[in-house]
Amino acid sequence: MPMTGRVLRWTGLAVVGVTVVLAVVLASRFGSDPGLVDSPLIGQPAPEFTLAGLDGSEGTSLADLRGDIVVVNFFASWCLECRDEHDDLVAASESFADQDVTFVQVAYQEEAAESLEYLGEAGASETTRYLADPGSRTAIAYGVFGIPETFFIDPEGTVVGKIIGEADALILGATIDSIRSGGQPGQKVTGDTQQRPDP
Amino acid sequence: MSERSRNIASVAFIAVMAVALILITSTRPATVDRVEQIGTRIKCPVCQGESIANSPSQMAEDMMDLVAERVSAGVPDQEIVDELLGSYTGAVLLDPPASGATLVLWLTPLAVMVLGIAVILWWRRHPGSGEAGEPASPGRSRTRLAIGGVVLVLAFASIVVVAANSLQDRPAAAAGAAAIDEQDLSEVSNETMEAVIAANADDPQVNGMRLALAERYFDAGDYRSAFPHYLVVAEDPNATDAQAITSLVRLGWMAYAGNGEVETATRLIDEALAIDSESSVARYVRARVVWCGTGDTQQAIETFDDLLADPDVATETRAQIEADLELARGGRECP
Repeated sequence: MPMTGRVLRWTGLAVVGVTVVLAVVLASRFGSDPGLVDSPLIGQPAPEFTLAGLDGSEGTSLADLRGDIVVVNFFASWCLECRDEHDDLVAASESFADQDVTFVQVAYQEEAAESLEYLGEAGASETTRYLADPGSRTAIAYGVFGIPETFFIDPEGTVVGKIIGEADALILGATIDSIRSGGQPGQKVTGDTQQRPDP
Repeated sequence: MSERSRNIASVAFIAVMAVALILITSTRPATVDRVEQIGTRIKCPVCQGESIANSPSQMAEDMMDLVAERVSAGVPDQEIVDELLGSYTGAVLLDPPASGATLVLWLTPLAVMVLGIAVILWWRRHPGSGEAGEPASPGRSRTRLAIGGVVLVLAFASIVVVAANSLQDRPAAAAGAAAIDEQDLSEVSNETMEAVIAANADDPQVNGMRLALAERYFDAGDYRSAFPHYLVVAEDPNATDAQAITSLVRLGWMAYAGNGEVETATRLIDEALAIDSESSVARYVRARVVWCGTGDTQQAIETFDDLLADPDVATETRAQIEADLELARGGRECP
């Protein structure tokens, strides 16, 4: 029956077409970086943490910083982008220190001694709190995929911004300026992030 | 064994198996199993398609520890998964949820299966169909060729789009000082500018921002904050002539207005005039310093006259000079 033959052929073609489209759609996801998805934390209350200083000093609690804009940066000595942004973080921290802005840098998957040694070389800021994160609990709570990642928390304790990749003083300052004027800067991708290299 | 006995034995065996199956499935898995079970559902965020239960990465280990801790604390499985979803979104689920955009992934196999069954049924009811067709006519061959061509073109176009997307780089990091000149500074706070300047202190490109910030401080009468920025630009061999002149003239005026140091002020402004002897700003400020600092009205009047005769003097400056000239000619003190 010619009619039935045509139906079968069209069905076959339809299956081939759908398969091609589906394969292309799925393949398109291979090249994408899951770390670039919008953080579900933006607009949400910031995950609380109480972390000890890298030097073993008294813990810093996010709740105690309520009322300040808090900049939470995840870093490590093995991260090249973190080294590149270090001076800008120090400069921004010191520049905004008397403007109710607190910078917090959390060591990511690294022994405190290694982080301290690095900060000794690179130069630590007296206005920044350098904290240890044993078990990566805070990094996991903030959904860190790689570093550097920097989160901005407004005075009410809501996550309002995130920078994925290296942050420079201009971006840090502009983001803080935006928050100070009541804005929600959201997420920006400035460059690559790094995973901890295999030991 | 009679048939009845065999039937009873069979039913008993099935019943025992069913009860065992119910018991196995209803028994809560051991804690370790639960941790492993949850771990296999969560994708390691720093790995390629591995679960946190199978990945050797530090991040996966840390996440497994977190899951184990929650399981020990008696937190239900879904709450543990939801906690991680709250931080990472569905990107950490190995099995995408059967809702929203990912619903198509679950429904497609089902749809294909239904379609396949329908085709088989159709085939069985119409045996021989499609086989007894007459030889293909040239027209039908062309149609098939066209359809095949369209499918190929679409596939190729899709692959090109995918490749282009994959090759697309992440946005480049804002290039620090290089981006400064392109930035509209009107909405940038003093603190941001201070931070940018501090982080790019050795980059000559930051001089533009440094001067803009110094001018803000100067206009606000905050000479203490303006001074170090003008000084850096004035001493920077890479500063442009215009930047150096502006800085020297401002430093000169601040030396006079802030500390009453007329000699220092004129020396600094003379340095600016050594760079460009025709600089109207330098000449004007020098005349004002001399007039206000030493009371030498005559010299000021001469300079003001010269400047007003210069067509290159900006309209705004010209208005100021005219006002000062009127005061000087009237024998009044400088404002």
